[in-house]
Amino acid sequence: MQRLTPTGQPAIAAQDLTVRYGREPALDQVSFEIPPSSTVALLGPNGAGKTTLFRAAIGLVRASSGSIRLVSRRIAFVPQRLDIEPSFPVTVTDVVRMGRYGDLGWVGRFGDRDRQLVSTALRELGIEHLADRRFGDLSGGERQRTLLAQASAQDADVFLLDEPFAGLDAPTHAALRRLLASWRERGRTVLVATHDLESARRDYDLVLCLNRRMIAFGPPATTFTEEVVSETFAGHILRVGSLLVDTAHHHHGAG
Amino acid sequence: MDWLIDPFQAEFVRTGALAAAAVGVISGVVGCYVILRGMALMSDSLAHGVLPGVAIAFALTAGASGSDPDQTAIWFGALAAGLFTAGATNFVLRRSQVREETAAAVVFVFMLALGVAIVSRVQGYSVDLTSFLFGDVLGVSSGDATLSVVLAIAIIALVVLLYRPFLLLSFDPQRAAALGLPTERLHLAMLVLITLAVVIGFRVVGALLVLGLLIAPPATAALLTKRLPAMMALSAAIAAASAPLGLILSWNLDLAAGASIVLVAVSGFVLALALPAARRAS
Repeated sequence: MQRLTPTGQPAIAAQDLTVRYGREPALDQVSFEIPPSSTVALLGPNGAGKTTLFRAAIGLVRASSGSIRLVSRRIAFVPQRLDIEPSFPVTVTDVVRMGRYGDLGWVGRFGDRDRQLVSTALRELGIEHLADRRFGDLSGGERQRTLLAQASAQDADVFLLDEPFAGLDAPTHAALRRLLASWRERGRTVLVATHDLESARRDYDLVLCLNRRMIAFGPPATTFTEEVVSETFAGHILRVGSLLVDTAHHHHGAG
Repeated sequence: MDWLIDPFQAEFVRTGALAAAAVGVISGVVGCYVILRGMALMSDSLAHGVLPGVAIAFALTAGASGSDPDQTAIWFGALAAGLFTAGATNFVLRRSQVREETAAAVVFVFMLALGVAIVSRVQGYSVDLTSFLFGDVLGVSSGDATLSVVLAIAIIALVVLLYRPFLLLSFDPQRAAALGLPTERLHLAMLVLITLAVVIGFRVVGALLVLGLLIAPPATAALLTKRLPAMMALSAAIAAASAPLGLILSWNLDLAAGASIVLVAVSGFVLALALPAARRAS
C-alpha cells in the first residue's frame, strides 16, 4: 500500500542544515533529499551528528540555520537508548498501544484496525507471551523488541531508527531485519543509523555518509568508494579482503 | 469503638477530613507524574515558592487592625507565586546548561528568602507562618472544603483528558515529540497541575509536608501495581484514606493534624514494602 506522499516531493529534505550545541556545530550545512519509499543507511562514527540529525528531524532540536522537512508528520522514531525507570507502570501491551496514540489523538477510541496493528506487532516481534508483563521487568532484548513493536504498530510513513542494531541479541536482530524488509516492501521511507558497512551496502537503496558535514549521499554501489568511507570514519577503517571494517566501532565493543 | 467515631462528632473535623481527602485525591493522582518524571525536588520547590505570594496577599488584606486576611486572596497569591516559581525554573533551564535540580533549587531559595523578607515587614504574620508551614486542616471553612472537592473533580477530568499525552511524555519525551506532541507545552501543563496540587494542599498539611502527600501514596501504589490507571486509583485511595485515619490519630493522641495525615500516608509505604507483591524479580 503506497502512502500519502505526493509524487516528486522528497520524503525527507535537508537544506544547509546546521545545528550547534554551544559553539561547535554538530551538523554543518547538510543538504540531501531522500525520495519517498526509499531505505537509507545513515553512516558515520560516534559524534558524527547522526542522533542530532534525528533530533532535528522530529523537532527536538532547532536548526541553527537551514532546515529539515519531512513530507509526513506520521513519523516513528526509535531512539538509541531508553532509560526507563524500572517501576514505570506500563505493560508490554501498553507500550505497543502507545504506537497508535499518534493516529488516534488524545481521546480517540481504539478501533478494530488499531487492535489488529497492536496484535500483529506483538506477533511479529515474538513477544505475545510477554503481553501482560511489566515493561520494567523485561530483559534488555525483550525491551528492545517491545519498542520495535511499538514502532511497527504505529504504521508510520517515515521510520527513523537510531542505531537499532547496537547490542541486540540474535532473535531481536533477526526480528528487526524482518521488520525493515516489510517496511521496505510496503513502500515506507526508512532511515537507519548503523555501523554495519556490509549491511549498508547490501540491504539499503541509499547510503548517507555523515561526519558533521555530509561526505556523500547516493546508491551504495556508486557512493561507497574507499575514499568516501575513510573520509567518513576519518582513519578508523581497516580493509580486510573485500570487506571494509570499521575498527573504531569494534574497539569500542559491539555497541 | 468511640475513639473511631468521636473525632467526627465535631463538624470542623468532618469538614477538615473532607478537605484533606479531596487534597489527597488530587495529590495522589498528580503525584504519580511527580515520581514517574523525577520531579520531587521541583515539587518541593513549588511548595516553598508560594510563600512570597501568601505573604503579599496577607499584607494587603489583613489590615493594620488585625482583621483576618482574605483567604481567597491568599489562595490566588499562592497560585501566582507557585506559577512564577515554575516559570522561572523553566526559564533558567532553557537559558543555561544547569541541571533541573540546580535550577529548581536556585529559584526555590530565592522565593523562600523573598517570602521571609516580606514576612519580616508584615506585623502579625508570625502566627500565620506556622499555619503556612504546617497547615491548618481543622481551620478549613466549609466553603474551602467544597472548593477542594470541586477542584479535585476538575483535576481528575484534566488528567483523564491528558492521559495519553502525559503517558507518552513521561515514558519517552523523544517519542512524544516524534508523534507530534507539543512536549514543551505539555511539560508546562504538568507543572501547572503540580502547582495547583501544591497550592490546594499546603492549606491543609502545610508547605513543609505537602510533598509527603505528593510522593508517599504514589510511591506506595507503584510498588503494588503494573499499570498507570491502577497506580493512580490506588494512590488516590491511599491518600484520601490517610485523611480520616490521620485525623483519628491526631484526635486520640493529641498530635498535629496535618503531620498525622502525612505520617499515615508514609506508613502505608512502609507497610507496602513488606508485602510480597512489592518485591520484584530483577
